[in-house]
Amino acid sequence: MVPDRPAIELHGLTKLYGAVRALDGASLAVPSGSVFGFLGPNGAGKTTTLRILTGLARPTSGSARILGHDVASHAVRSAVGYLPDVPGFYPWMTGRELLSFVGRLFGLSGPVLRARVDALLDLAGLSGVKTRVGGYSRGMVQRLGVAQALIHAPSVLMLDEPTSALDPIGRKAVLDMIASLAGRTTVFFSTHILSDVERVCDTVAILDRGRVAAQARIGELKARYGVEKIAVEAVPTAEPLAAALAHAPWVTAIERSGGERVVLAVSDVERARREIPAAAAAHGLGLRRLESVEVSLEDVFVDLVGEG
Amino acid sequence: MTSFRAFLGKEFWEIGKTWRIWVLPGIVLFLAVTGPVLARVTPQLLQALAPDTGLVIEIPDPTFRDAYLQWAKNLVQLVSFVLILIFAGVVSAERRSGTAVLVLTKPLGRAAFIVAKYLAGGAFLVGTVAAGAAVTWGLTWAVFGEAPLRPLAQATGLWLVWGLMMLGVMVFASSVVGSHAGAAGLGFGAFVLLSIASIWAPAVRYSPAGLLGAPSDIVLGRAGPLLGPTLTGLALAGISLAAAVAAFRRKEL
Repeated sequence: MVPDRPAIELHGLTKLYGAVRALDGASLAVPSGSVFGFLGPNGAGKTTTLRILTGLARPTSGSARILGHDVASHAVRSAVGYLPDVPGFYPWMTGRELLSFVGRLFGLSGPVLRARVDALLDLAGLSGVKTRVGGYSRGMVQRLGVAQALIHAPSVLMLDEPTSALDPIGRKAVLDMIASLAGRTTVFFSTHILSDVERVCDTVAILDRGRVAAQARIGELKARYGVEKIAVEAVPTAEPLAAALAHAPWVTAIERSGGERVVLAVSDVERARREIPAAAAAHGLGLRRLESVEVSLEDVFVDLVGEG
Repeated sequence: MTSFRAFLGKEFWEIGKTWRIWVLPGIVLFLAVTGPVLARVTPQLLQALAPDTGLVIEIPDPTFRDAYLQWAKNLVQLVSFVLILIFAGVVSAERRSGTAVLVLTKPLGRAAFIVAKYLAGGAFLVGTVAAGAAVTWGLTWAVFGEAPLRPLAQATGLWLVWGLMMLGVMVFASSVVGSHAGAAGLGFGAFVLLSIASIWAPAVRYSPAGLLGAPSDIVLGRAGPLLGPTLTGLALAGISLAAAVAAFRRKEL
């Protein structure tokens, strides 16, 4: 693998389904070795992107490359592991049989295959399970899905909404599996669950209506797109302070939570830190707390994608 | 090639582990067992069922030919329908269940997927019908004391050409149509068209329609030239398979 070359590259990827534009010139680059969160609301085009990357669908225009190869090329398959949003397995197989079968599709056999199957069943918490896959819970299916995608130690692992239908325990198990891959495999992880992304991803792209609205490391994204906020607690009440600062040029929005607390969205943090204590003193208020509120990925997401 | 072998192995494994192992062999073996026995007792049954009207029904003594004829007719009329129903979902079921996505995102090409389906289904069909023919031969010998191998082998072989052709048609139908019922409808449509064509002499001589009556004609010793139906039947199987590969390659999953 060439270290500086992105593991996944999209250039102007467009996909039309009749009159519906599922992807509208999406472009992004996924760094090698990253755990990459591919964020977007439902219907943004995440699954379509993954279907194109796995060769299950063809783009209307634009190109998609994995490890420098066009996704249509057969060579890509050996380097990629994929878990679809609703994985389908042969219900008559056991988990061990399924992993062995998938391993054989990749040309694995003998002791190597047996060792991989044992290790992955262990990783997925399915070692002692003798039930056929048809009797698995949704969480077990999803963990088996991640395991089958890893059987050939892929360079790139693509997961489509791997946690969306899971209960909290199942979600944690799958996220732990993903987190354990950091630094070893490039993980491309589509989801609309922001807390999952904050927990396991280092880099994200936000897809909105078929276009990549932003792509950066999570910290950079928050710094670039997040609005700085300052929480103020004043006694006996913060209301006079909120009223006094409402028209200050560096205040962009005010969230009143009633009583002593008010949160100010600000465009100039340093000026806010200087002027808020002065305003409190001018109104005879005591300042109990003045602190920056950490920008969340949700703030950035809502800001970029909008609430509608 | 490794992935093709793995997938072909899965196909055989799946036949052995699911309902498929019971349905086609069960029906074929049932027909194989009952054919010679029914041929033996049919005259007595007819006599017993005829009311005592004074009419005399002259029925010749049954021979091995009656048992073979029963087998040949069962293959054409019943096993063909079972084949259509069983293989109508051969490709579409994997698309609907998501297992096609599982295997086709691995190093398994779409052509290999289709060809493995056809080869496994074909081997299953040939093995099952050959076993049924062997049972028919053994029971015919036991019941009638006479069971020449040649007409039974020829009739069964000719039907297998038909069966392999219909299997190709079903693999194509299942690749094109997303539903089991839709593919079965296409299969039955092909069956009906060829049945209609089989009443026209040139079609019998130069098209797969000639394969429909051939097994019975061989048993009765009145078969015409069979090279045309055999070659066109095999050609249609090949064309159907190629068309299935082409159609499946264009499908988005």
